[in-house]
Amino acid sequence: MGELSDAEDDLYHAVARLAQRTPFVEVLAEAVSGLSVRYNGRLASYQSPPRVRGAVFRAWTGGGWTEVSVSGLDAETLRFAESAIERTLTHRPARDPPPGVSSTARIDGVTPMTKPIRDLGEEEMLGRARDIHAWVAGAPDIHETEVQVSWRQDDRLYLNSVAARCSQSLCRVRGIVLPVAMENGRAESDRYVCGGVGGREVLDGLRPERARKAAETARALLHAKAPPFGRLNVLLSPSVTGYFAHESFGHGAEADQFVRGRSYLQPLLGTVVGPEILTIVDNGAYSGAWSQIFCDDEGYPAQRTVLVDRGRFTGALHDRATAASLGASPTGNARRSDVFSRSFVRMTNTYVEPGNATFDELVREAGNGVVLESGVGGIEDPQGGQVQVKARMGHLIENGKVTDLVSSMALSGNVLEFLRAIRGISGQQDFELDTGSCGKGRTDLLPNSAGGPYLLSSAVVGQA
Amino acid sequence: MSAARGRDAAAFRVADQLAGKEPWEVFGERIRRFEIHLSGDVVEMTRGPIAIEGYDIRVFRPHDDSLGVGRQASNDFSPEGVRATLEDAERAARYASFPAPRFELPSGRGATGGIVEVLDRGLWEYPMDSLENYVATLKAALEGRPGFALSFGSIRATLVETSICNSYGLRTGYGHTQVELEVGVKAFGGPEGPAPGEYWLNDSDRRLRPAELARKADDWCRFADDVRRGSPAPTGEMPVILPSAVLAGILPTVAGGRLTGSARLHGIAVAPGTKVASEMVTVHDDGRLPWAPMSSPVDDEGVPQRKRVLIDHGLMSEVLYDSLHAGAFATNSTGSAFRGVSSGFRTWYRFLQPPGIAPSTIVVSPGDGGSDAELVERAREGVWIQEIGWSSPDPVSGAFGGEIRLGYRIRNGKIADPIRGGTVGGFVFAPPESPSLLNRLQAIGSTSAFVEPVSCPPILVGALPIGGER
Repeated sequence: MGELSDAEDDLYHAVARLAQRTPFVEVLAEAVSGLSVRYNGRLASYQSPPRVRGAVFRAWTGGGWTEVSVSGLDAETLRFAESAIERTLTHRPARDPPPGVSSTARIDGVTPMTKPIRDLGEEEMLGRARDIHAWVAGAPDIHETEVQVSWRQDDRLYLNSVAARCSQSLCRVRGIVLPVAMENGRAESDRYVCGGVGGREVLDGLRPERARKAAETARALLHAKAPPFGRLNVLLSPSVTGYFAHESFGHGAEADQFVRGRSYLQPLLGTVVGPEILTIVDNGAYSGAWSQIFCDDEGYPAQRTVLVDRGRFTGALHDRATAASLGASPTGNARRSDVFSRSFVRMTNTYVEPGNATFDELVREAGNGVVLESGVGGIEDPQGGQVQVKARMGHLIENGKVTDLVSSMALSGNVLEFLRAIRGISGQQDFELDTGSCGKGRTDLLPNSAGGPYLLSSAVVGQA
Repeated sequence: MSAARGRDAAAFRVADQLAGKEPWEVFGERIRRFEIHLSGDVVEMTRGPIAIEGYDIRVFRPHDDSLGVGRQASNDFSPEGVRATLEDAERAARYASFPAPRFELPSGRGATGGIVEVLDRGLWEYPMDSLENYVATLKAALEGRPGFALSFGSIRATLVETSICNSYGLRTGYGHTQVELEVGVKAFGGPEGPAPGEYWLNDSDRRLRPAELARKADDWCRFADDVRRGSPAPTGEMPVILPSAVLAGILPTVAGGRLTGSARLHGIAVAPGTKVASEMVTVHDDGRLPWAPMSSPVDDEGVPQRKRVLIDHGLMSEVLYDSLHAGAFATNSTGSAFRGVSSGFRTWYRFLQPPGIAPSTIVVSPGDGGSDAELVERAREGVWIQEIGWSSPDPVSGAFGGEIRLGYRIRNGKIADPIRGGTVGGFVFAPPESPSLLNRLQAIGSTSAFVEPVSCPPILVGALPIGGER
């Protein structure tokens, strides 16, 4: 937090001066550091996060919010931002405070690490990548394997005019193995990822057998059958279950969509939407998870918010504005991609909680259908209540047994119908969280995590 | 813009401090950004100026049998800041390895990028006023339409002075503007029931064009109403028509994945001369198309942009290169080095991103399929796909597909009832027996439409699998 600490006095005084012109003003400053290496057996490349520091000021005007962002934390740059805000406040002076409760939190959060990663230099990072690469070297028919090892520390300092001070330092560490198989011009790949918030110990979680399995899968995909299409029993793997939770109840429960009258879920708050075995949670305080945060970018502490509690839709995700508009409390979900991007209501770690079935029981229950594996992504439809999730591959289920491998496919469906059709959820032994990113619209990507165990329902699927 | 070539341009201020560190390259940007966000038709937030000035230093250090390429970005222009940034780049170059036996950056002598229309002067001079006027026109375009409303919107304008220089003598720059519009238009109820339908639009342009909003609003409202009325897709393999709005989400990623020097280096490129489609298919990559968001006088290494032939009458033609990969294959850059491009879209602050190889605007030559109506008539029974939720193309396998957000049944050679829900997908390149856009192509329409980042007519694919309820 060194660079942010150095600028804290200037940030504090800028907020104090602006507070004389508006009932509320806040500033978020950010600095990042880290290192990433890519290695494929021949090529190696390095990437550090840029040496870019910056701040965003947000002030309440007569008619809404105004924001100014600058890249730099020196006194002159901050003064430029302050002046720009002052000019807006001159034209649009605010007399009343903004809606909602301003954070007065005092938070100081630092990623706990059992093995610090900052001192892992370029040479040792490359060594790690080479070791991981060796796990799959010589795998039959694997054309190339790329290994990525990275860490990125994101330091943020939040101050506002009602004395909140929140600093957080989050270190995200990740290893990725990407084997590519090729035959007769057809190329297929799989992906094994292990990551989270922490130190070197996160990289210690990478498993050779999982990397080799990814290589075997990439090779097998070259000869995979086309997937079936139409309405089928679908058994979602943990990563696909996560994408479903994220795209359906995650985006649908972002309360800015409620305020816009844009969520199919809003009229269903408090009602039963699924079976009792279904609980969906967004948890920014999930220790070690990829999207763990200590506080959001409006200074509210991260928390566990139950979106669906044993089948009943119970909660939404809020920032201060949506909470004020809908008579709720902020849930610690106001997030910015960086200080150049605006804050939206965003998810953190969103997942389906484990049930009590086993994978084999769910396969038998399905009888016939398809397992969707290795989630690739998805997209929400908060207005229409539809959802799309894509899987890199899957297996057929025939007569209660898992049979042939099939290639990539998409699931499409009405969320509420999908929930009503849920017939089982597997237990803690299958629970996984991934390490992804999520946008709001086409921009504003930020770290996000989703997951769960296996989940059995029915939906329309097709080649994709 | 002369400002980007002036002595105070971001890259030039850094370059003056790199003497003796050759070979190097500096990419600089001075950015101003302004945004207006709407909730319903009410202004929720104004943002700006978002002021960013920064640079990226790349250094190239020969090793025994490879090249060490290191880079670092920064917004610290002080001598200490530049020194620290250079040290980061040098450290990365020390351990990096890239198989380029010869390597050369553009010197700026000879061909220049000339003039390409990429700057909206009114927006450049009066950014916030221009945005406010645009928002007022947008609201007016949707007023007086019973049953329709804005559910949300954002308009973001980015004004950039790009500057590039290197130790081979290049010093160039240009100004450009970029506009991003995101709008949700809702259609309410009706005899079919109360559930609203929404058409959710993301669009990029180089200029603000408020005069076109009234016409566009007609389309948005029609699409929103069709989403509301849409019923699930049928199931089966059938003829499918894909317009530019859908191909824009598929072609750039696949071209970037399989038709570039990077793909060649990784051994997954489609080799020049390979037959990848029927003779009717000719595809260009045009980096100079006026007002296209990916157009510019030069690419992000300073190499002049030009028109490149990707597929010539069904045969794979040019591979796209940046300087680095061109060096690996002893060929020349095609002016295809771009920073911050992912899945065909570009981030608004590019100096933070490394250069990669990407197509600019993909232009599919019109065919003899005739008008949209003639294409539909030829399909006889099938589906017109207007919008896929996310076509999620895989750059390695070339697979694409997703949920049908809006489509239309084609019955008896006519557009019929709207479709919403179900899946469509396949491969772009694939063996003959697999569902592929290119090897099952039956006709190409005769009229192109530009939907960033492609310009193409609708195409009729003989059969693609549709996953639906019926």
